[in-house]
Amino acid sequence: MLETSSEKPAPVRVISEAISEYINRLGQVWVEGEIAQLNDRAGSGMVYIRLRDPSVDMYLEVTCPRSVFKAVAPLSENARVVINSKVNFYTPTGRLSLNAKEIRQVGLGELLARLEALKKVLAAEGLFALERKKPLPFLPNKIGLICGRASAAEKDVKENARRRWPAVRFETREVAVQGADAVIQVSAALRELDNDPEVDVIIITRGGGSFEDLLAFSDEGLVRLAAACKKPIVSAIGHEQDTPLLDLVADVRASTPTDAAKLVVPDFQEEVSKIKNLRDRSDRKINDLVILEMTKIVNLIQRPVMKDPLIMVTSRQEIISGFISRSFMSMNSKLLRAFDEVTHIAARVRTLSPQATLDRGYSVVQKSDGVIVKDPASLARGEKIQLRMAKGVALATALGSQEDSKSE
Amino acid sequence: MAQLSYEQARDELASVVATLEAGGVGLEESLKLWERGEELAAICQQWLDGARAKLEAAKSQVEAE
Repeated sequence: MLETSSEKPAPVRVISEAISEYINRLGQVWVEGEIAQLNDRAGSGMVYIRLRDPSVDMYLEVTCPRSVFKAVAPLSENARVVINSKVNFYTPTGRLSLNAKEIRQVGLGELLARLEALKKVLAAEGLFALERKKPLPFLPNKIGLICGRASAAEKDVKENARRRWPAVRFETREVAVQGADAVIQVSAALRELDNDPEVDVIIITRGGGSFEDLLAFSDEGLVRLAAACKKPIVSAIGHEQDTPLLDLVADVRASTPTDAAKLVVPDFQEEVSKIKNLRDRSDRKINDLVILEMTKIVNLIQRPVMKDPLIMVTSRQEIISGFISRSFMSMNSKLLRAFDEVTHIAARVRTLSPQATLDRGYSVVQKSDGVIVKDPASLARGEKIQLRMAKGVALATALGSQEDSKSE
Repeated sequence: MAQLSYEQARDELASVVATLEAGGVGLEESLKLWERGEELAAICQQWLDGARAKLEAAKSQVEAE
């Protein structure tokens, strides 16, 4: 460590030397980047390259001997390269740069291999797992849209969405959709939209392009960011057959921008008719139910016992009158029988009674005490007697019997 | 009495009718049952009229929309 203080400062040369010494410790490194600028000053033995990080907005200056540059030319801007270099701190000017020993262009095959390797890593981390997929909101409040400037993709998404749901609202971010800028700008837009409280779904879309064009959408930084987003993401990158890693980590993969619009926005007319259909069905059901119940009640009320309750009285009335008439009839017959009996008895009484005999002229002699006299001898002379004749009773006195008169 | 649910009123009405039809019930009891039946019928009618009124109201409201 270098001991310095305000009283004992170290001069520039000492600091520069120290810096140079630290940096030299880094030694030789292979660095990867994208050629942002190329200064091929004719005549000078050096080619100056401004090398940019593939994902982040960071640069390093590279000084490259012409021979090393020639070995791998032609190199154009945006080319992805890997440079074996020694870090150099030029103390007189305090300038830091990389001295290129060897440059290799990163080829398509190399890029593909790297992409597959990255895919395996991300897959192993479970970033592509289905359970992570968030459902899309049925009706988004506001759709975050990340797309190229005035791109066909943007037009497709918006037109289709508006046709399906006229009230749809967008929060659009037009960004570079190619090269290193794409990664930086898409990531920035993604962060912004993910934190926008009004946005509840984000569509990332761009039209078709070469493998390199779509490479940004397989960038590890961008893909990890997308995976970490709170809001559901719909990716619609390139053509149907293109599947950048973003597709695998997005919550929904749409084959085309139009498809993305369909997935994110319900079709208003369709929904309206669905609701109307449901409403009609429920109306019919409830009406049928009420009618059914009504008929049940009517049936119950129409039943005789309820409709003409008098029946409970009349039926009993019949029973009672039945009883009455029966009892009347039985009484009647008893009466008749009794009547007959009486008449019989009366007749017999009459036959037994002396009246008939009296009527025939006989009369009955009774003593004053009512005893009937059958033997004149039982009468004393001058005894008061009653003579009961048909029409009544005569009073008389006994003179004596015939035998008395004979013997006189 | 009004707190009887529609189903309860309907089911009791059904059993009243069944009892009356089965007979074997005294006059006074039958009279009471019949009165009960009338009451229950009124309750059911009340529920059904209410339902129908709600439906009519809802329908007219829908037409008004």
